[in-house]
Amino acid sequence: MIEKEDCMNILRRIIVGTVLSLIAAAASADLKVATSIEDLASVATFVGGAHVKAFSLCKGYQDPHFVPAKPSLMRLIRDADVFVSVGLGLDEGWLPLVLPGSRNPRIQPGAPGFVDASEGVAVIDKPVGTVSRAEGDVHPLGNPHYYMDPANLIVVASHLARVFAELDPANATVYERNAKAFAAKMQAQSKAWEATLAPYHGASIVTFHRNFEYFLARFGLKRFGTVEPRPGIPPAPRYLAELAASMKREGVRVVVYQPYFDANASRGLASRAGGAAVEAPTEVGGVPEAGDVFAKFQVDVDRIAVALQAGAAR
Amino acid sequence: MRRVLVFLWLAVLTASPGARAAAPSIISNLANPAIGVNGLFLCQGAPDLDQAYGMRPGEAEISVISTVDPYWTLTVYFVLDAQSALAEEAFATTTKIPGVTLKLGQLRASFGKHGLLHTHAFPFVQAPVISVNTLGEEGFKDAGAEAAWMTPLPWFCELTLGAYQALPADPDHALDFGAVSRGNMPGLAHLKNLVDVDDDTTLEVGGSAIEGLGSDGMHHAVWGADLTVRNVPLRQSNERGWTVQAEFLHKEAYGGGVYDQEAFGWYGSLQYRWAQTWWTGVRVQEAYRSFTDTLLDSTGTPEPGYTRGASANISYLPSEFSQIRLEYSALRATGVDGSRALDRRLMLQFSFIIGFHALHAY
Ligand SMILES: [Zn+2]
Repeated sequence: MIEKEDCMNILRRIIVGTVLSLIAAAASADLKVATSIEDLASVATFVGGAHVKAFSLCKGYQDPHFVPAKPSLMRLIRDADVFVSVGLGLDEGWLPLVLPGSRNPRIQPGAPGFVDASEGVAVIDKPVGTVSRAEGDVHPLGNPHYYMDPANLIVVASHLARVFAELDPANATVYERNAKAFAAKMQAQSKAWEATLAPYHGASIVTFHRNFEYFLARFGLKRFGTVEPRPGIPPAPRYLAELAASMKREGVRVVVYQPYFDANASRGLASRAGGAAVEAPTEVGGVPEAGDVFAKFQVDVDRIAVALQAGAAR
Repeated sequence: MRRVLVFLWLAVLTASPGARAAAPSIISNLANPAIGVNGLFLCQGAPDLDQAYGMRPGEAEISVISTVDPYWTLTVYFVLDAQSALAEEAFATTTKIPGVTLKLGQLRASFGKHGLLHTHAFPFVQAPVISVNTLGEEGFKDAGAEAAWMTPLPWFCELTLGAYQALPADPDHALDFGAVSRGNMPGLAHLKNLVDVDDDTTLEVGGSAIEGLGSDGMHHAVWGADLTVRNVPLRQSNERGWTVQAEFLHKEAYGGGVYDQEAFGWYGSLQYRWAQTWWTGVRVQEAYRSFTDTLLDSTGTPEPGYTRGASANISYLPSEFSQIRLEYSALRATGVDGSRALDRRLMLQFSFIIGFHALHAY
């Protein structure tokens, strides 16, 4: 038999517990930041430090071109303070559903909490002349995989520091300091990565999609071709046979692919050309070792350097 | 009206490749709205229908969408076929109210699952018999307003309430909401729950009800329940996946001590994707007290009866923007007087998208 007093005690405990956990939740981070891809969440974490809780809607091992617009994603950003979009059309297949679906006025385009991270980035591959889908599912605003160049992430970091400072002025100096530290670390690391890849300057590789363009430009490598004949169009056997033959002719021995692309097509192509296929993530979390943006570039640089060395030795 | 359509066609012809190019990360165009066109064409061989084999009249759907101002987004869908051109939907939405999406205008009521789909998004060429007999082939469409509230519960739980204009039944409206009394405001309630079972799988459970007063003085209502399990492996989101779905619909009339159970039935379907370019699907269905194209009484007029049937299809999608689908469907119907009818069809459907690719809900 439960006494009335016990009931009151239990009720009081529930109320106090709820209030305390609400306070704890509110105090744990000043800004809740949601992003399209893991790389942007990683940069936001470096810039925000203890004041920001950042998470990505697209997982690192997931194709950022095809994110299912699940209502559960809308729920995740219902009370976010900031949303960081990749921009340049990479997330246009799902964001126009998920963002309004969140029913969160603070992160809609035009609101202070919406960030297009591509702002201020020097965009490459902007199509010239007529854009037509006869070329496949092209990115008409230019190549949106700019997060594959360490220098562009420095631009993103200072952009995020400005936005965080505006929304949370109390910690403005922290955000600015963190962004500067991030830039310094990224510059130092870039020098090391450039040194690792310097022996292979001018070497050509094959990528699955045109998502390594910024990386190749930064580190002095060249794209020989792509496993997919046109963006979003799967390769036919004859196309792969022709590509393998020309790779063999030109001595191109490295094929780079991502966890969400057809590994068999990449491996088959590489073995026919007498080379090797390398899984090199374009997004943070693509492979377990790529835990943040620094680790991602480290994995890519190391794996590509090893493959190029092996290819040259053959 | 015709002038507007001609203008739109011209706008589409001249602007379609750029419509996507001009859109930044989120739909927004200053000078022009984002315009998309979907063309749907059907070849059919149906031995039980009094129709020649071959091409059936196709239809084109034009979607026009743009941000109005910081407060509103306007969406218009025009449907064009050989006989008619009409603005099937034209509605404004706002997300300025925290937690709530407000939608008003000529809209498709948020009822169930199949009733939300545009023709070109149907997973099978034809709508389920029970959908046609309860809400209408393409769901319940009417002028009205809806508010969809995302509750703060830890999973996606959405409650939608709607109110619509009173309209009598006609070929486009299976429901009679035609009472002219002032108190007649047809209303809807819809509860949608979606949970992530794991990274790849979602479970959705929904319930819907719509009710209004008919021109016969009776209350008319449809209620439905739906269950969907969907799997999209995140590592192969563009190559694999499956969806299992079942929906039950029930239509009734009551008032003045009279209760009349009208049409009711269900369908269950499986869609399976085994490659980037290939989908396949099977569907079974049953409907009671329902009309079909082939079940006629002794005088040759359509009569309601019990139907059951199955469909199977295979779809080839060479890109995101086109689709070819081969489907076989068979439906057996039995009338109240014992009359029997078959409806077998072999169909080949072509679907094309140009311009802005109107996005489909998950
Ligand atoms: Zn891309």
